[in-house]
Amino acid sequence: MYEFLKYTVKDAMTPSPLTTTPDTLLRELEKIFETHDFNGIPVLNHEGRLVGMVTKYDLLKAFIFTPDSPIPRYGLIMDRPASSVMSLDPVTVNPDMPLSRLLQELVELQTKSFPVVENGRLVGIISREDVLKALRRTTAA
Amino acid sequence: MTTLLYNHPVCMEHDMGYGHPECPDRLVAIYGALKQPAFAALQWREAPAATLEQLTRVHPQRYLDRIMAAVPKDGLRALDGDTALCPSSGEAALRAAGAACAAVDEIMAGEADNAFCAVRPPGHHAEPGRAMGFCVFNNVAVGAVHARKVYGLDRVAIIDFDVHHGNGTQAVFEHQPEYMYLSSHQSPLYPGTGRSSERGVGNIVNLPLPPYSGSEEIRNGWATLLAPALRAFRPDFIFISAGFDAHRLDPLAQLSFTEEDYAWLTREILAIAAEFSKGRVVSTLEGGYSLSALAASVAVHVKALMEAPALAAQAAARIA
Ligand SMILES: [Zn+2]
Repeated sequence: MYEFLKYTVKDAMTPSPLTTTPDTLLRELEKIFETHDFNGIPVLNHEGRLVGMVTKYDLLKAFIFTPDSPIPRYGLIMDRPASSVMSLDPVTVNPDMPLSRLLQELVELQTKSFPVVENGRLVGIISREDVLKALRRTTAA
Repeated sequence: MTTLLYNHPVCMEHDMGYGHPECPDRLVAIYGALKQPAFAALQWREAPAATLEQLTRVHPQRYLDRIMAAVPKDGLRALDGDTALCPSSGEAALRAAGAACAAVDEIMAGEADNAFCAVRPPGHHAEPGRAMGFCVFNNVAVGAVHARKVYGLDRVAIIDFDVHHGNGTQAVFEHQPEYMYLSSHQSPLYPGTGRSSERGVGNIVNLPLPPYSGSEEIRNGWATLLAPALRAFRPDFIFISAGFDAHRLDPLAQLSFTEEDYAWLTREILAIAAEFSKGRVVSTLEGGYSLSALAASVAVHVKALMEAPALAAQAAARIA
């Protein structure tokens, strides 16, 4: 019944997630999103530091109409780097954060996933799906 | 009396490359609609090329030279990220501007009541010295200046209901109180101009509409802002920059006009033309990129033009 309260982020996260770099092109990112069903991918610089997070939403947002051009330059936009669309300073969580708190943040920020950081290093990613899975496990009859 | 329909085959040869939404098929769709029996009374006219004299009233000679020199022998030549010339584009652009002038001549000679110019490239983004946004020469501006300069008209109005703001037309006329430019358009959207605060010398009237605006917003805006300004101006001649890309099916913007809105707007404009301008209206094609919506919208627009004299007579009879 109260099993869920014992869980922390560490218990539900995906460890060692797939990451990308700031200079990865949007067309490569799109392929990653197509092959893996991730909502967001952590962006690490060449020192392995988390510098951003790029989501499907960020990718879509790059293609909306703007006053710069009557038609979005679809092909050219695909050749832009991840750094041009990623969100900087993403909200991160610690592995020892209670999962109940993380659930609260997911709902309040309407975020689909958070990078999990420990001592400045990325150690995992935790998504809506991971939390749902933990809920299912802890409430199984 | 008569509605004229200006066109020319070369306007269908202007082709900016595979998949470009401002494509020859737009005219194919329009001609398909206007060849129906309901439009049998339309008088089709071949659009003549604009003369140097007509063009240089709006565009500097060196700009014309630059454009004509840029017309390629084959392939495409880019003018900006979205606008290009093919070998037929020079002549198409000349005839697109010439159509508006020829329509003015016929109407002033009493040969017709009004006219629709089914031509491309469109014109309202073209500034005096700059091609942009699929536009090369500012067709409607060339026609408007022709009407004033050749026929000595005092006041000429241009109504632009294309979903994009006509930055070029505004740039041509913003310091000339003999002209009024009135535009409804989506904002934010390309080209980024057209704020309500842009008022020229009191002769520019902008109605920016937020995305997803539709019938209610445009009809309110017309009734409260555009129509009162146009009436107060008492135009001797009215031009329409007739873009149909504010239609709910258009892929290049997010307004939600319907065919019925275009019919309504056209009748509203014609009522003011009957009151102040002896019914004199020249409408020239700008945007509209859903082929089916474009054909249907042009059809109701031209139908309204054809019915204008009858409507005006009825209105006059009611007043008498
Ligand atoms: Zn347009």
